[in-house]
Amino acid sequence: MAKIKQRYDGLVVGAGIAGMQAALDLAGQGFDVLLVERQPSIGGVMVGLNKVFPTLDCSSCICTPRMAEVAHHDRITLLSYTELDSIQRDGDGFHVSLTKKPRYVVEEDCIGCGKCELACQPLAPHEFDYGLGARAAIYIPHGNAIPQLPVLDPDYCIFDGNCARVCPTNCIDFAQQPEPISVDAGVIILTTGLKTTPIDAKKEYGGGKWLNVMNPLAMERLQSSNGPFGHVLRPSDGKIPKSIAYVQCAGSRDKSIGVPYCSRVCCMYALKHGIMLKHELHDTEVTIYYMDIRAFGKGYEQFYRRALAEGVRCVKAKVARISEAENNDLVLRVELIDEGGRVADVRHDLVVLSLGLIPGWQPDGSVPVEMADDGFLRVRDLAIRSAHSSAEGIFVAGVASGPKDIPDAIVEAGAAAMEAAMYLDRTRGRQPEFAGAGAQA
Amino acid sequence: MTQPVLNWREDLKTFRERMGGLTEPKKALAKAQRDARKAIHEALKAGPLTIPEIAAKSNLPSNKVLWYIMAFRKYGQVAEAGQAGDYYRYEWKEASE
Repeated sequence: MAKIKQRYDGLVVGAGIAGMQAALDLAGQGFDVLLVERQPSIGGVMVGLNKVFPTLDCSSCICTPRMAEVAHHDRITLLSYTELDSIQRDGDGFHVSLTKKPRYVVEEDCIGCGKCELACQPLAPHEFDYGLGARAAIYIPHGNAIPQLPVLDPDYCIFDGNCARVCPTNCIDFAQQPEPISVDAGVIILTTGLKTTPIDAKKEYGGGKWLNVMNPLAMERLQSSNGPFGHVLRPSDGKIPKSIAYVQCAGSRDKSIGVPYCSRVCCMYALKHGIMLKHELHDTEVTIYYMDIRAFGKGYEQFYRRALAEGVRCVKAKVARISEAENNDLVLRVELIDEGGRVADVRHDLVVLSLGLIPGWQPDGSVPVEMADDGFLRVRDLAIRSAHSSAEGIFVAGVASGPKDIPDAIVEAGAAAMEAAMYLDRTRGRQPEFAGAGAQA
Repeated sequence: MTQPVLNWREDLKTFRERMGGLTEPKKALAKAQRDARKAIHEALKAGPLTIPEIAAKSNLPSNKVLWYIMAFRKYGQVAEAGQAGDYYRYEWKEASE
């Protein structure tokens, strides 16, 4: 484990793209930053995506250099696989309690060779692939994981000791326990990210019940070059799908499941999936059933037009229900808006529900920030103080404060880092060699 | 690098007790996985097959077969071996088990 100091200038909670950017921007101004991530690897949701819209750049090619930069930055200390327990105000700064979860591996001594994983027999659904792929009970989270260290899942361990037997550095440590850590931080940035709405939130769509009704993030993994199947295949039987449907607003703009807002990214990721699917599976039909296409960002409308030109079908319709036919095919009952509301049953091989974005973490009293009515963190003034949480000295960026795409999350992370730096300047000052010309004058 | 002084055999005993031992559900899962592996290996002895073909031969549901095949593929025991219609074929790579 990295050597932890008692005092840091800044604490960043969550090491997805927003957290990494905030940490880099704050550290780049000369502040010591502690970056805390609850998962065994940093990178958040973005490192598992296939491409980004509207450029179709490789997502991990953008994300992994930032992950490496964070891991090697002199002024950033990285604590992965660590839970935030509480943040308490202490004057202008904060007292932070964390718990480092046991990996059952001595981090300093592990060389990341992966021999333990190959020797381990039990298989478990792999979280990184949303259960579509498998992993061993002891496993390195994925090829791009940082740190490149295994973690042992006791829920699947059969205690045969094979991992320790083959370890060349004798670094499997079954005696590890959760380790409490206390630090002081001058400023906090919360970048706690997102979850999708549960796939079974709308029972009429059969998510979690029908094998070929999928989460969009799982589809991202299927489309990725390092995805679980190596191709886009149906989870029920490995068939190359010939007809794929996307059901938009399947977890957003829906008061019945408590998500009345638009999740802002679903239209664009469905179009992106459509384009990528047409590139890989030339004779596969992709149909997007939508209420409105919301292509509001720079280049997004052109991206929508490109998807149409490449053969993605966009049908203005509301899907009422999904039922399963023989051979695990799916029948969608749809109301076709542009055909006067005609109701039709349409058969598809595979269905992706465009689930809504909900907060990855919500305050429960352990951190002195307020939650807005939509469940995301409240910001003080969306127009001019979008990075300010309800608490002085605690800033927020990325999806923690509301659904947004990757460019917006990165911009907001930069703003949060700048606000945090100004807060530190106001409350503590900083080392002269890092202060700007204005501060020296 | 500091050389750790770990007695993993002793620690494993304590760890096993602390985690509630090898419970019946864990034993059942381990057995199911061993049986599935054996059945899939057996099915593939005659040559490459698609997921539905392996499922029919092994009496396992096709979604489970897909999951196991992809696990074995990840860990190098199975490889893709061409295509048959709308399905890929898979072959066992290990000479013996």
